[in-house]
Amino acid sequence: METRVLLKNRKPDRILDLDEYRASGGYTAAEEMLQTGRPADVQEVLEAAGLLGRGGAAFPMGVKLSTVAEDAPFPRYLVCNADEMEPGTFKDRVLIHTSPHLLIEGMLLAAFSVRAEHGIIFIRPEYENAARILEREAALAREHGLLGKNIFSSGFNFDIVVHRSGGRYICGEGTALLNALEGKRPNPRKPPPYPTVRGLWQLPTVVQNVETLCFVPHVVQNGAEWFRNLATGPDEAGTKIFSVSGRVRRPGCYELPMGTALSEIIETHAGGMAGDGRFKACLPGGASTGYMPESMYHQEMGYKGLSDAGFRLGTAAVMVFDHSACLVGATVNLLAFFARESCGWCTPCREGLPYMHDLLRRIENGQGRAEFVPMLREMAGQMGLAYCAFAPGAAAPVESLITYFEDELREHIETRRCPFETRGPIAGATK
Amino acid sequence: MPKLIIDNREIEVPEGTKVIKAAEKLGIYIPRFCFHHALGAVGACRVCAVKFQEGPVDGVQMSCMIDAQDGMKVSTADPEAADFRRSVIEWLMLNHPHDCPVCDEGGHCLLQDLTVAGGHGIRRSKGRKRTYTDQYLGPLVYHEMNRCIQCYRCVRFYREYSGYSDLGVTGIAGRVYFGRLREGILESPFAGNLIDICPTGVYTDRPSRYTGRRWDFERTPGVCIHCSLGCRTTVSARYRQVVRVEGRFSQQVNRDFICDRGRYGFYYADRPGRPRNGRINGQTVSAQQAVEEARDRLQRITQEHGPEAVGIIGSARSSLQTLSALVHLCHTTGWQGPVFRNTWIAGAAADAAVRALSPENAFSMREIETADAILAVGADPVNEAPMLALAMRQAQRTGAEIIAIDPRPLDWPFDFAHLACRAEEMEETLASAAERLSASRRPVVICGTEITDDGIVMQAADLVAGLRGSDKRAGLFCTMPQANSFGAALLDESNACAADLADRIETGQIRALAVFESDLWHVFPDRSRLSTALEKLDLLVSVDFLDTPLFENADIGIPSLTVFEAGGIYVNQEGRAQQVRPAHTGGLPIAAAGLGDHPPRSFSPDVPGRDMPAAWAAAFSLSGQAPPETDAQMTAWMRDNFAVLADLAHMEADGVRLFAGRKVSIPDEAQIPEKKPDQFLELLPAPTIFGGEPMSGHSQCLRELAGLPAVWMARADADRLGIADDDRVSLGFENIEVTLNVRISDPMAQGVLVVYRHPDIDWQPAPDGKRIFISEDQIRRIEKA
Ligand SMILES: Cc1cc2nc3c(=O)[nH]c(=O)nc-3n(C[C@H](O)[C@H](O)[C@H](O)COP(=O)(O)O)c2cc1C
Ligand code: SF4
Ligand code: SF4
Ligand code: SF4
Ligand code: FES
Repeated sequence: METRVLLKNRKPDRILDLDEYRASGGYTAAEEMLQTGRPADVQEVLEAAGLLGRGGAAFPMGVKLSTVAEDAPFPRYLVCNADEMEPGTFKDRVLIHTSPHLLIEGMLLAAFSVRAEHGIIFIRPEYENAARILEREAALAREHGLLGKNIFSSGFNFDIVVHRSGGRYICGEGTALLNALEGKRPNPRKPPPYPTVRGLWQLPTVVQNVETLCFVPHVVQNGAEWFRNLATGPDEAGTKIFSVSGRVRRPGCYELPMGTALSEIIETHAGGMAGDGRFKACLPGGASTGYMPESMYHQEMGYKGLSDAGFRLGTAAVMVFDHSACLVGATVNLLAFFARESCGWCTPCREGLPYMHDLLRRIENGQGRAEFVPMLREMAGQMGLAYCAFAPGAAAPVESLITYFEDELREHIETRRCPFETRGPIAGATK
Repeated sequence: MPKLIIDNREIEVPEGTKVIKAAEKLGIYIPRFCFHHALGAVGACRVCAVKFQEGPVDGVQMSCMIDAQDGMKVSTADPEAADFRRSVIEWLMLNHPHDCPVCDEGGHCLLQDLTVAGGHGIRRSKGRKRTYTDQYLGPLVYHEMNRCIQCYRCVRFYREYSGYSDLGVTGIAGRVYFGRLREGILESPFAGNLIDICPTGVYTDRPSRYTGRRWDFERTPGVCIHCSLGCRTTVSARYRQVVRVEGRFSQQVNRDFICDRGRYGFYYADRPGRPRNGRINGQTVSAQQAVEEARDRLQRITQEHGPEAVGIIGSARSSLQTLSALVHLCHTTGWQGPVFRNTWIAGAAADAAVRALSPENAFSMREIETADAILAVGADPVNEAPMLALAMRQAQRTGAEIIAIDPRPLDWPFDFAHLACRAEEMEETLASAAERLSASRRPVVICGTEITDDGIVMQAADLVAGLRGSDKRAGLFCTMPQANSFGAALLDESNACAADLADRIETGQIRALAVFESDLWHVFPDRSRLSTALEKLDLLVSVDFLDTPLFENADIGIPSLTVFEAGGIYVNQEGRAQQVRPAHTGGLPIAAAGLGDHPPRSFSPDVPGRDMPAAWAAAFSLSGQAPPETDAQMTAWMRDNFAVLADLAHMEADGVRLFAGRKVSIPDEAQIPEKKPDQFLELLPAPTIFGGEPMSGHSQCLRELAGLPAVWMARADADRLGIADDDRVSLGFENIEVTLNVRISDPMAQGVLVVYRHPDIDWQPAPDGKRIFISEDQIRRIEKA
């Protein structure tokens, strides 16, 4: 059964408007909290609920909010990360197109908890429709006193602007995003200080993903206990929107209890494998996570469960490959993306990824040599010493390819060709 | 103070020291590309990885990013860290062109060194290399982007450290590009530092391209003499010729960097026109013959007309050796002088500054960097003392407020409040701006001496004294016109200026003049008066290493050694005496002496052109005395003969501070600037970084940067006079007429026309002690053809 919290108001053809949102109980959590609650209440309930960041890093939101010190300087900023750049991920877009006011209310509550006056939605430029929806609905919210000065007569002021990203993958990284907003190059910043201490223009800044923020009104309204119980077991909390793509019959966004088994996601919700395909592997959380092999077909898909198994749930963008797919070719493709999108700041990522791409491309094209495999393994491991999480993310598919599909790699090298032969050689260098 | 162990050796370092620095203290050099002590740590290159084996940090981490903490145990040789470092180098070399044989960085290239040290020797990659298009960046810096290893040092220096924005990074991933948006001349007058700061050969020294490897050069610690700051340099010479100057670290003065005037100003020393032979009445003779002839004729005039008939002129571009030898010369012979001041007013301001500076209140540039408020009055660092601008920028980056009181348009690489006012308004503006320092704890007052008078200098000194009285760590910083202005003021007993001697020539009292290393022609207020006066003389002797018009016209010309051959002591504007050692043996450069075969194929034991004396030695010889034989004996002689120089005995790495030890108080007759009459504008000649200073003005590469001669005026004045930006105007005053391009600026003082000194403007600066006012109808707009 699909457990719908965030997507409960999803309509096939249009967004939920403000009246409908309010009729379904929207903004009551915010109204009550702003009028009668304390900022710390929001933080406490989120911490107790165990709401983890949905943007990929799975950092507990309540804990993050608590790092904005009581006496930290003003103004403070709340940034909604709507960059959604992780390949395979399309849940934030669906959320905005489903119920923009859920996001606005979530931002309002999050801002209230740290007394931030400025909200910024940092949005991927391809999401121009979503950006316009948000601008329009934010204006409407302002007209109705849901944004702006003295919201719900509580004395709290908060407003939102929508900022379109320059459109590179790295801009979605929480600290690179801050540099981008400041008009600088989107190189990540190395904490400490963390953005909650010195973020945008050196002032306290909370950065949260769209999905994370959309949970806030629900958790504030229904409590931590309720949220925890949404998951399949006591180790996980809440629901998660899975963006399922690849060789399945019904790709799409599915909001399911955290911890739902992969097999159930594919078979019950995504309609099973497409055509006569057999499950071969999947990327569980976007391009920067490792391939899960067939042996993990029944793995429970939760932050805790996957990390215990040595994987990351990331954004829960499940990309499914069937037995006809060449994972070497797929990884060459992913590396081309990462090599192109590196911000160019640190050496391992800027130079190492194109190198790995080159080696893997040679293997795929039948020019591989046995020593490429240990070279790739060593370099993939060394990506962990890059400046930010981009490079280790980029290395994750390579590492898992070598761990679980070394035979496939070796076959490419020994037979000097791609055994899948689904297409001709992959041309060109990455630059 | 945290204590940690690096490679099994213990070290205690101050709180906040990065591990990479702590290792340095143990003599352990951890590789680095992006880390630079002036620019800080940014963690970009990842080549400084070490293994943290015990303590609060775990595993392989970047040693430049982590503060040393108690209990750390660090290994630099750990295989995981060493393998990673080797990988980083392999990655960096993937796209490197390996063109070391034709790269000027070769031999002192950090990438070469660390590639060898890191153990990456064989190329494994079969991939193609990326290539870039290089840019023309102007006459000083050569650009070859293929060699870049993306350490970001250049842009961090250029943009963050020095505050210019026309060089930056574009692109992402493997396509990041370091350069300008469009190729063109770099706008920063500190651009030459890119050459020093880049760890590879992306930026190399353009004028000295392909002149040799570092090991081919005689490299000598030097001190820049192109302004009063006395920045430290390293001078590289080859084949009896200076080929390159680089910045040299100094804790108190310039830190790591120098300005482009200092880096490229040396070309005067070996230009073809430099006097290398003696000259008697237009005939070429040996230097020695010229000295003897001058000595004999001066003695004859002294015998016939008495010692008052001979006058001696020197200048603040000479070494302290020369200045003291000249004082001694006049003492022993009874000759008049020596006169060190060009104009009375400039000398008076510098003299007031020297008297006002004491060991307590005189701040170094290092102390400027830590100021929390800066008030600059009548000082334009970028044009008068360039490196001071970088020190001020560092202060501003850490939060200092900066206020400028100046009539000129100021183009400084940091934010500041400009209170534009004319000379006669300066005193009042300074008095009211002083209040803005009241909240600061470490304020500095910077005072110029080129366009201000002694009254302003003393007012600034009093302001500092007042601030110190109210418990602030306040300092005074005065810029001065020339490298040894401080030294000249210390030794100057006459307080006379060149014009005073001109009076005496006109009355016939002085019949012979010996001018040492002075561009009298260039600086004397009234040129027609000067030429008439000089014509009256029985004898004009010029001792110089520059072929000035005076040298050309002198009866006897004696060539002197430059600082690169003679060395010398120079006292910078804070009273810091610094020793310069000779950079090469002297003599005609081999390129000129070798009959075209360069490098030479034939050798002879004697060096042509080595008989030139240092100016100080010539000074001794003119009175018939034998000069001290060695540099050391000369220094000892100076200490013994001049009480103010006694402290030279304590010369250390950072030099030694000399002070006049006299108190200032505002004298009754302090200068009160004339008021500007209505319908008149003040014509203000102003110093400029490129082209205005006599020695560096000979560097062709700097002349290219001087731009067109121009007159700057405030918008309100231009509007009233119906003049637009870029118009050409002719200015007529007294018997001079100049045509200049107009630049309109805001803010700058109304009622002032600023003309920056320029090699193409052959005219006089201000008449002595007076301001030049020109009436509005003497400014004519010239119709464009
Ligand atoms: C290379 C990289 C790209 C990222 N892109 C996104 C993104 O597009 N959207 C997003 O919400 N988070 C992205 N993140 C995660 C953010 O850094 C950050 O953790 C997140 O926005 C915080 O919000 P959350 O705690 O609500 O997830 C990215 C991280 C990395 C390392
Ligand atoms: S790993 Fe380095 S180059 Fe890659 S995105 Fe992060 S900072 Fe930039
Ligand atoms: S040009 Fe030089 S200083 Fe600049 S990033 Fe490249 S290697 Fe570093
Ligand atoms: S600031 Fe002055 S002393 Fe320093 S390098 Fe430049 S000209 Fe020379
Ligand atoms: S020197 Fe430490 S990362 Fe470059």
